[in-house]
Amino acid sequence: MPADHVTASEAQAIDWIVRQRAPDFADWDGFADRLAEDPGHAEIYDALASLDLDLDALPPAAPSVSPANDRAENDRGMPRRWWLGGAVAAAIVGVVALPSLDLSDGRDVIQTAAGEHRTITLADGSRIEINGGSTLRLDKDRPRFARLESGEAMFHVVHRTDSPFVVETGGTQIIDLGTAFNVVRADNRTAVAVSEGVVLYSPDRSKLRLVAGQAIDARDGDTQPPRIRLVDTATVGGWRSGLLVYDGAALQTVADDLKRTAGISVQIDPSASRLSFRGTLVVDKASDRTVADLAALSGAKAERRGDGWVVSR
Amino acid sequence: MAFRNKFRMTEANERSDAAHGIEGVLLANRDRIIRFLTVRGAGDAAEDLFQDLWMRLTERHSGPVADPLSYVMRAANNLMLDRYRSVRQSQLRDKAWGEASAVQKPGAEAVLISREQLAMTERAIAATGDRPAYIFRRFRFDGVLQRDIAAEMGISISTVEADLRKVYAALAAVRRQFDAG
Repeated sequence: MPADHVTASEAQAIDWIVRQRAPDFADWDGFADRLAEDPGHAEIYDALASLDLDLDALPPAAPSVSPANDRAENDRGMPRRWWLGGAVAAAIVGVVALPSLDLSDGRDVIQTAAGEHRTITLADGSRIEINGGSTLRLDKDRPRFARLESGEAMFHVVHRTDSPFVVETGGTQIIDLGTAFNVVRADNRTAVAVSEGVVLYSPDRSKLRLVAGQAIDARDGDTQPPRIRLVDTATVGGWRSGLLVYDGAALQTVADDLKRTAGISVQIDPSASRLSFRGTLVVDKASDRTVADLAALSGAKAERRGDGWVVSR
Repeated sequence: MAFRNKFRMTEANERSDAAHGIEGVLLANRDRIIRFLTVRGAGDAAEDLFQDLWMRLTERHSGPVADPLSYVMRAANNLMLDRYRSVRQSQLRDKAWGEASAVQKPGAEAVLISREQLAMTERAIAATGDRPAYIFRRFRFDGVLQRDIAAEMGISISTVEADLRKVYAALAAVRRQFDAG
């Protein structure tokens, strides 16, 4: 798997960068031995060491590395979920041709298993990246239409003025006005976050125009139109990379994301249902670490149970 | 395998040649350094880069060095990193990202990421949590050793190490994102 390969190389590069910072580091032959194992190692090392060097340009004062720079977006005090990351996509996402299931009614259904990521490219060049645990329907007769039954997908839509792209989910529609956006559909909730361009959410009811950097979370049956909140465009659709960033998310939300994104099963015990999570989760094969971080940072404890985990207070 | 044999041979010379200063170290460890440069990404250009390294070190060198071989190897590593950065910089210039650079300085001193990317990096560091971000800052910017940070904060070295890894993992993720964007 290319994804594992990249991650392992990165972990190794990080290890060397950290060790080499000690003035008395002397294991240069050991470093050379590891580099000799794979030509890709040197490249990853260079890329990371180079970024590390660039950090010299960060402002010197300590407070700048505190969450202070999030304040502007957080000051409404509402719980906000952060997605950081963008795309390791090329590495973790397999590109598949349109599967032709359910041809009887002219529809294609794409279902992904938990932890499985897929990218499909439509005839017009639009791309849909589908997170794990998701069901997406396409309609052969309607090339500019997709229905997200459940789960999560990131849409990169080629805009056509004469024919807007429509994404249907739950009871609503999202109409692209030239765009990349992420949609989550789970537990009677719909969340939309826009990273480029403009979309029109629920054209028949709330008629919300969302521009890049805006997001909404709507619950089925809400009488009020959802409130628009701000998001960092770079964090939209962050499930595609291995890094999930949250600021005060309910543990159940995090558990749902882990299930979809990485196939990690985490059950939230009622004792921990009121806890919230703030921090970064590095999602990789080592689910122990991911779940241990989740528990430690939210003041809970995690226990293995069967194939999954239980997080309790 | 051939490399290994070679550098075992040169290892024997290392101590006696240390006395001859940097030139002596470079000469005595020529094969070892060339092997390092080769695997470090120089490939066939390793011999040429050895010459560059020679020029760098013999021109610049001043004062005694505690561990001359490590000093030379570190310089070889920096040479390769500078090389990577100058190639990268011209690629970025071609892409016309140059004007977006956070700080414009000539040559290898230039910052290769944009202001926006720098800000994203900073946010990613902050998002790892207060303690990891603090530890990273002490380690990376204040140059405090891991064991000293551990002592300072009354935590174990392995905790310090785990936090550093966490921050670097976040940086790695951010970097992938830059590449993808």
